[in-house]
Amino acid sequence: MPESVKFICLRCGHNFVADYTPKVVEERTCPKCGSNSVRRQKGKAAEKAAD
Amino acid sequence: MMDAGRHPRIELFTNSQVENVSGFVGNFNVTVRKKVRYVDEDACTACGECEVVCPVAVPDEYQEGFSSRKAIYIPFPQAVPSSYVLDMENCLGTNPIACGKCADACEKECIDYDAVDEVRELEVGAIVVATGMQPYDPTEMDEYGYTRFANVITSMEFERLICAGGPVEGHFIRPTDRKTPKSVAFIQCVGSRSLNRGVPYCSNICCMNTVKDTLLLHDHYPEMQNKVFYMDIRSFGKGFEDLYRRSKEAGVQYIRGLPGDIEEDPKTKNLYLTVENTLNGGVERHEVDMVVLAVGLVPRTDSEQIRQMLTLSQTSDGFVMEAHPKLQPVDAPTKGVYFAGCVESPKDIKDSVTQAGAAAARANILLNDREVRIEAITSIIHEEECNYCGRCVRVCPFHAITPANKKQGVFPKVVEAACSGCGTCAAECVTDCIDMRHFEDAQYYAQIEAILAEDPMQKIVAFACNWCSYAGGDNAGTSRLQYPANVRLIRTMCSGRVDEDFILHAFRKGAPMVLVSGCHFSDCHYIDAVTWTQQRVEKIWDKLEKKGIRPERLQLEWISAAEGQKFAKVMRELEKLRQAVTEEEVAFTVDLLIREQKPTPKRRTNRDTLALLN
Repeated sequence: MPESVKFICLRCGHNFVADYTPKVVEERTCPKCGSNSVRRQKGKAAEKAAD
Repeated sequence: MMDAGRHPRIELFTNSQVENVSGFVGNFNVTVRKKVRYVDEDACTACGECEVVCPVAVPDEYQEGFSSRKAIYIPFPQAVPSSYVLDMENCLGTNPIACGKCADACEKECIDYDAVDEVRELEVGAIVVATGMQPYDPTEMDEYGYTRFANVITSMEFERLICAGGPVEGHFIRPTDRKTPKSVAFIQCVGSRSLNRGVPYCSNICCMNTVKDTLLLHDHYPEMQNKVFYMDIRSFGKGFEDLYRRSKEAGVQYIRGLPGDIEEDPKTKNLYLTVENTLNGGVERHEVDMVVLAVGLVPRTDSEQIRQMLTLSQTSDGFVMEAHPKLQPVDAPTKGVYFAGCVESPKDIKDSVTQAGAAAARANILLNDREVRIEAITSIIHEEECNYCGRCVRVCPFHAITPANKKQGVFPKVVEAACSGCGTCAAECVTDCIDMRHFEDAQYYAQIEAILAEDPMQKIVAFACNWCSYAGGDNAGTSRLQYPANVRLIRTMCSGRVDEDFILHAFRKGAPMVLVSGCHFSDCHYIDAVTWTQQRVEKIWDKLEKKGIRPERLQLEWISAAEGQKFAKVMRELEKLRQAVTEEEVAFTVDLLIREQKPTPKRRTNRDTLALLN
C-alpha cells in the first residue's frame, strides 16, 4: 500500500509529500522544477521538514 | 487458424499455458501445460451428441453472456481443433453427482473424466509473443449506466448481437423487450483518452469500429436512427476517411461531445442522453432506444506473468515495449523474442497482420542464419575476485548470468548470447570483479581524470546513457540550443553502468558537480536497469550526507533522446548549482575521499580482458 512520504528536490530545494510504496522504484519528479533529483527524506530530515 | 492447424510443420497448442521460459536466443526451453480437455481431440468428430444430452447450461462467454452453452461445448464455431472440451467446473460427470450422459452418448468413446493435464518441454530458437489485449470494463463509469440499464451495451456485446453466428442470428434487438430498436447511440472514447478513469491513450480502433457498426446498422435497418457522440473521429488509414464519409452520407448523426449522464425511462426503458454539443455550445437531450459504449483496449490483466518469464519491459500504459520504436518495432529487448498484435499496443486487424508477418520474418531470419551475432559489449566476470554473493544474478535485467554456488565452487557465468551489455552487474558488483568489454572501469577512470586534470572547479562531470541522454545532448546540439560549455559528457551504454566508484572518483578529483542521467523508466533499453541506477544514486546521496558532503552535488536526471530542450535546461541549472559550490567544500571533499580511499583497485585494461578471453 502506498504511504505519504516527504521528499526534497535536490535541485530547487522544494519539499513536498508524495505517495511512496516500499520496494517499488518509480520515476519521481519535483512538482515545482521538474527535476528528477528527488530524495526521500528519512528519520530526522523528515521530522525537520515537517516542522 | 485452420491453415495453421493443418500445417505439417506447425504444432498448435490450444487450451494451453506457458508455465516457464528459460535459456536465451536460439536456445529457449519452454514449459507448456496443455490443459486437459477430457475429450480426445483426435477421436472426436464434433458430432454434437454429447452436447445435446448435457443437462448443464451456463452463460456462454463467447456470446458475451447473451446465450448459454453446455458444460461440454466447442468454444466458438471456428475453433481449432474442431473438438469438444469439457468444462469440469460446471460438469456433473464426477462431482457431486455422477451424470455421465455425455460419455454414454459418445459413440467414439472419446470422453475420459480421468484425463489429466499434459506438461510438454519444448526447445525453440525464437519466440513470438501475441497474447493480445482485453476490452475496458466500463462499469466504473457509472454515468453511462452500464450494468444498471440493460439497454446500455459495449461494442463487444454489439458485435455478438449483430453477428449472423451470434445469439440472435444477427437480428439486432434490444435486451429489454427483444424488439429491433428505432434509434441507437454510440458513445466514443469510453475508457480511452482519460486521465482520471480508464487509460490515457487512444485505443486506435474504436472510431473506425463504430463507423463500421453504423454502416452495418444502416444496411440492415435503413430506417434506424444512429447517433455517434465523439471527441474527435480519428479515421486515418487506407479507405477509412471514405468509410466515415459514407457513414455521414447514410444519415448517421455525428454529435461532437460526450454525454455527461444517461437516464432511463422506467416504463419504456428508453435512454436519455444529456450532452453539451461543443460545436454549437448548446446542451442537448437525446432520446434513444439503445446505447453502445465504444470501449477502449487495455493490456491483459494476466500479461505480467508472460512479461516476467520473458524479461520483457513495459511502457507506462502497460503494453510491452519494443527494442526500438522505429528501427526494431517488433523486437523485444530480449534477443530472440518478437511481438505481434495488441500485446505491443492497441491496433486493428490490418496492423496486427502486418506486425505478425514482420515478427515471423524476423524469427525466420534468425533461425535461417543458424548462428547469432551477439553484442560485442558484454560483461566479463573475473572469477578470482568473486565472492559468490549472487548480486549480479539478481540485478541482471536479462537473466543473463547463471547463479553461483559457493559449496560446489561454481562461479556465476555470463551467457553472452543473452547479455545486452547494460553494465548493471558491473556497477553493482561489491568486489568489482565484473567489467564490461569496450566500456571498462579503466576507461571511465581515465576519462574522469582527463576531464578533471585542469581547472576541475569549473567542470561538470555528466554521465549520459547512450540511447537517451547522450542523444538528448545531440538533439540540443543540432537544435542549436545553448548550454554551458563546461559540461563534460561521459557516455555509458546505460546509466545502470555508472558505478558508485566512478562518482566518488570524480569528487575525489575535485569535481564540484556530478550528473547521472539516463532514459525515462518507460524508455529504458535494458528493461529495468534504470531502476537500479535510481536506487544506487539514492544510496550514494545518503553516503555523501553522512560524510558531510552536500548530496545536491550529485544530480540525477532522466532525459529522452527527443528532449534536447530539457537537456539544455538541466545543464544550465547544473551550472548555477556549480557556481554555488565553494572551493572550501571541494577541498574538504577531496581530502576526505583521498583519506577514505581503499587500496586502488586493479585497473584492468583491454589487454587484461583479452588475456582472460584467450
